[in-house]
Amino acid sequence: MTPIESKAQHLLRLRNVSFSYLEGVETLQNINLDLAPGEFHCLLGRSGCGKTSLLKLAAGLLSAQQGEVVWNNQPLITPQSDMGFVFQRPTLLEWLDVLDNVLLPIALHRRIEASDLQKAKELLQRMGLAHKFHGKPTELSGGQQSRVAIARALITSPHILFMDEPFASLDAITREELQHDLMGICAEHKTSILFVTHDIGEAVYLGNQVSVMAQGKIHHTLPIDLPQPRQNSMRHSPEFNHFSAKLRHAMEVVA
Amino acid sequence: MKSKSYFWTLLVGVVFLTTWEVLVRTLGTSELVMPAPSRIADVLWKSLVNGYLWPHIWQTLVEVFWGILLGGLMGCVGGIVLGESKHLRSLLMPYVVLSQVIPKLALAPLFIVWFGFGVLPTVVMTALICFFPLLENTVTSMQQVDPQKLELFKMLRANRWQTLWRLKIPSGMPNILAGFRVALVLAWVGAVVGEFIGSSKGLGALIIAAQGSMDTPLMFAVLVVITFLGISSYWMFQTFERRFLQS
Repeated sequence: MTPIESKAQHLLRLRNVSFSYLEGVETLQNINLDLAPGEFHCLLGRSGCGKTSLLKLAAGLLSAQQGEVVWNNQPLITPQSDMGFVFQRPTLLEWLDVLDNVLLPIALHRRIEASDLQKAKELLQRMGLAHKFHGKPTELSGGQQSRVAIARALITSPHILFMDEPFASLDAITREELQHDLMGICAEHKTSILFVTHDIGEAVYLGNQVSVMAQGKIHHTLPIDLPQPRQNSMRHSPEFNHFSAKLRHAMEVVA
Repeated sequence: MKSKSYFWTLLVGVVFLTTWEVLVRTLGTSELVMPAPSRIADVLWKSLVNGYLWPHIWQTLVEVFWGILLGGLMGCVGGIVLGESKHLRSLLMPYVVLSQVIPKLALAPLFIVWFGFGVLPTVVMTALICFFPLLENTVTSMQQVDPQKLELFKMLRANRWQTLWRLKIPSGMPNILAGFRVALVLAWVGAVVGEFIGSSKGLGALIIAAQGSMDTPLMFAVLVVITFLGISSYWMFQTFERRFLQS
């Protein structure tokens, strides 16, 4: 069985999922979502619409009160080893250097081997951080910290990556660079991604599918049929604008 | 810029000491009431050179060392346990606070009854004083961990021990070390006050002995030694703390 075939069995499914932090106030209502292998699925919506809660439910960080989350044909109770999560803030450990931060997911479960170290260095090199292996997170810029956080999430070669607006606080150019890097690495490893954003342009550029959320519900799911791999020049194409306009309209309708 | 500020700080000290010296000399104040700084320096130098002060300094140092070690460790471990267990925190914290409201000095006679006369009651007193700042800071540190980092550790399937050892304690270290710094200052108070009551040796006991023999210059000389030791230990710890947190 090839790695791609084995990944084909991994599929995330949310069926009629509801969730509330407080009794009587539903944060998420009757959510249905499927994530195919290699798919880049964006959850788009305004602040407070339940995107992050849905992401945490899908990752096993929260438990649904109703419905079920199925990962790899098994009910999902807790986070799994083949999942990665990138938070809104980089959440790097300030007392560890960059390399140790990237290796943390492995170091928590077993001894670091030479191949792990090599992989971490390759990931960081790919992210343009070859000269920062032994730097402390506080010495890095916001964009560099986000890159380290992505490298940390990818070190275990997860089948799925959950990303919660990881580029929200970055400037436009750094954001575009990181989007490009992320798409390249994930396409290379056939990693599925569930990506939360409130930026329509980001959702269209990154996603194969975009689900529009409002008031704890998925109101609309739009396939984005732009050619792969995405190029920066596409951001100004008529097709890109067409999908952006459609998503904006969908967001306004459900607001 | 920094050396300029040191200069002004030093100048304030020199002006203060000179004024003190001039006032004592011009007013002809009795040495019993207020000795001149030059007289205190003379007594201090002589008692250091002839070796009179050293056993007392050593005794107090030993008491401070054991006091802060025991009190600090108990405070730190207790803080971790209470910080980790909400149940234990709600059960025991009121009693911990209650134990701290009781003036330690009032306990000294009881400690003499329980532990005898000498090093032990002073160490217990010092440890008791050092315990609380460490406990309080450690409990607070355990509860103030970034929730997103806790979620990260949950996502990485870290167990409770790993989360404590690799996240909570390192992220709380600046707060825990600040607690140690406060405890270190209080340790000198604890040791000296303990010696006032329950010891015949040590800098606190020496102050009481000097008072008994009306040797006010010696009392001041001992105060200078205590201040010097207190400030030195504080600075040393601060330097260690900075280096530790930067590493």
